[in-house]
Amino acid sequence: MIPPRELIEPLVKIALLIGGLMTAAAYFVLLERRMAAWVQDRVGPNRVGIPLTKIRLFGLGQPMADGVKFICKEEYTPSHVDKRLYILAPISILIAALAVFAVIPFGSVLPPVPGLDSPIRLIVAPGIDVGMIYVFALSSIAVYGVVLGGWASNNKYSFLGGLRSSAQLIAYELPMGLGLLGVTLAAGSLDLEVIIREQAKSGVWFAFAQPLGFIVFVVAAFAEAARLPFDLPECEQELVGGYHTEYSGIKLLLFLVAEFLHMITASFLIVILFMGGWHLWGVTGSDDNVTWLGAALRVAILSGKIVLVILFFMLTRWSWPRFRFDQLMALAWKIMLPLGLANLVVVAILYELRVMVDPDMNSRLWDIGMMAVTWATCFFGWVAVASSGTLVTDNTPRRNLQAFDIDSQL
Amino acid sequence: MEGWSFLLPILLFVLCAGLLAVGLLTVGTLVGPKKQGAVKEMPYESGMDPIHDTRRRFDVRFHLVAVAFLLFDVELLFLYPWAVASRNPDGLQYVATSDPAGFNRLLVFGEVLAFITLLALGLVYAWRKGVFRWR
Repeated sequence: MIPPRELIEPLVKIALLIGGLMTAAAYFVLLERRMAAWVQDRVGPNRVGIPLTKIRLFGLGQPMADGVKFICKEEYTPSHVDKRLYILAPISILIAALAVFAVIPFGSVLPPVPGLDSPIRLIVAPGIDVGMIYVFALSSIAVYGVVLGGWASNNKYSFLGGLRSSAQLIAYELPMGLGLLGVTLAAGSLDLEVIIREQAKSGVWFAFAQPLGFIVFVVAAFAEAARLPFDLPECEQELVGGYHTEYSGIKLLLFLVAEFLHMITASFLIVILFMGGWHLWGVTGSDDNVTWLGAALRVAILSGKIVLVILFFMLTRWSWPRFRFDQLMALAWKIMLPLGLANLVVVAILYELRVMVDPDMNSRLWDIGMMAVTWATCFFGWVAVASSGTLVTDNTPRRNLQAFDIDSQL
Repeated sequence: MEGWSFLLPILLFVLCAGLLAVGLLTVGTLVGPKKQGAVKEMPYESGMDPIHDTRRRFDVRFHLVAVAFLLFDVELLFLYPWAVASRNPDGLQYVATSDPAGFNRLLVFGEVLAFITLLALGLVYAWRKGVFRWR
């Protein structure tokens, strides 16, 4: 008996996605290390190539060697930990980090294949209307993994790291949600495929239509992925390894892979919500009628954009010092949240006016006018932030400040 | 989409991810060496002997932030349905005319603005109360 298409199609896509994501995570680790070496003017890992030969291949064998090493390490559970939670934490964080991709499109759509009644969409679970809510729900489960790991380890470093992470992750979920609300208003849906299609149809990526929302979302996405300058959960110099200090072997591998997956997810979301997904002007077209070449081109453009965003993530890591924890919380609650609210209100009022005056949404004049207003909002938001509370946004080290000065600004 | 079948791929995905995680752990357990030791059992605290148990009282501000997050997050959740519905094509056709539906639309929009104002007021209140003060 041949299993039905409803079972085969998702399974094939899941196998492709999980395989691709795990490989991508491994090779992004190598890319990050080479990039760090490049920024710091050293060589970096370039030795491991094909085993038993002298071919080095720019260190492309490094991720595989790392994987083998992780597997051959002892699978150790210390006696002072809460065993069940200690093992549950890495499993739950990896499941949450992977399962997010069920609703994230990794391309557009394939041309009709003879014998199938509907074209194959390049997304594991098509037609989930609440796609973004699902993404947010799973990113909240990632918080559980971090908190469980920190709590179960029974180690002060882990505990502090877990507490800090939970506070950081939940605080930055709000600006992320506000940035998303602006996009939802503009696209009229929470389905990621629909959001891409709306951008492709109008040709105006939401990053241009809502610059302030874009900035708020990107900053929040950096914090959600716990990347520098927001990597307080695991700041090596203060907390050793943060919440995974007590972990080793495969369990540590699961945590590290989940962290890289979070970064990849964040890049996917930034690209899909604000940078047009697979759309590029004059190249991809905007509807579902594609040739095989067009479909491949869309996948390539989407992946290209994602790699660019990830490169930006990695460059940022070596460009900014880490925020202090008080700065981190102040940035979330006192700057990003009000800015996100301002963006939401401006966008909401603009769309409501437009619905009244231009209900068909096809006037170019309105497009330009709305963009002018949103860019002005972005500019005034920047001026307001720059002229108030500079200690919150400026994380350069200072020695000449008294505690009172800092207090008065925070 | 009929019934709940559109949720099947998500279920499959969660299942596969779980299998991957558990499988990796099993392989690691089978392949890796096993050794015990008194010092190995200690929590790693930079080589110092741990002084007392970790699970003691911690700063109340973490709790305050959690409560503030819950409030604002739930309030944001109320805004998503409005954001989706306000661009629904079925609703848009009423707007151009001056019949009661257009007026209702304005009313809903006013309510949402009032709601966001309340949200902002709550933020200002928590701010003035020093919830976000970390020194």
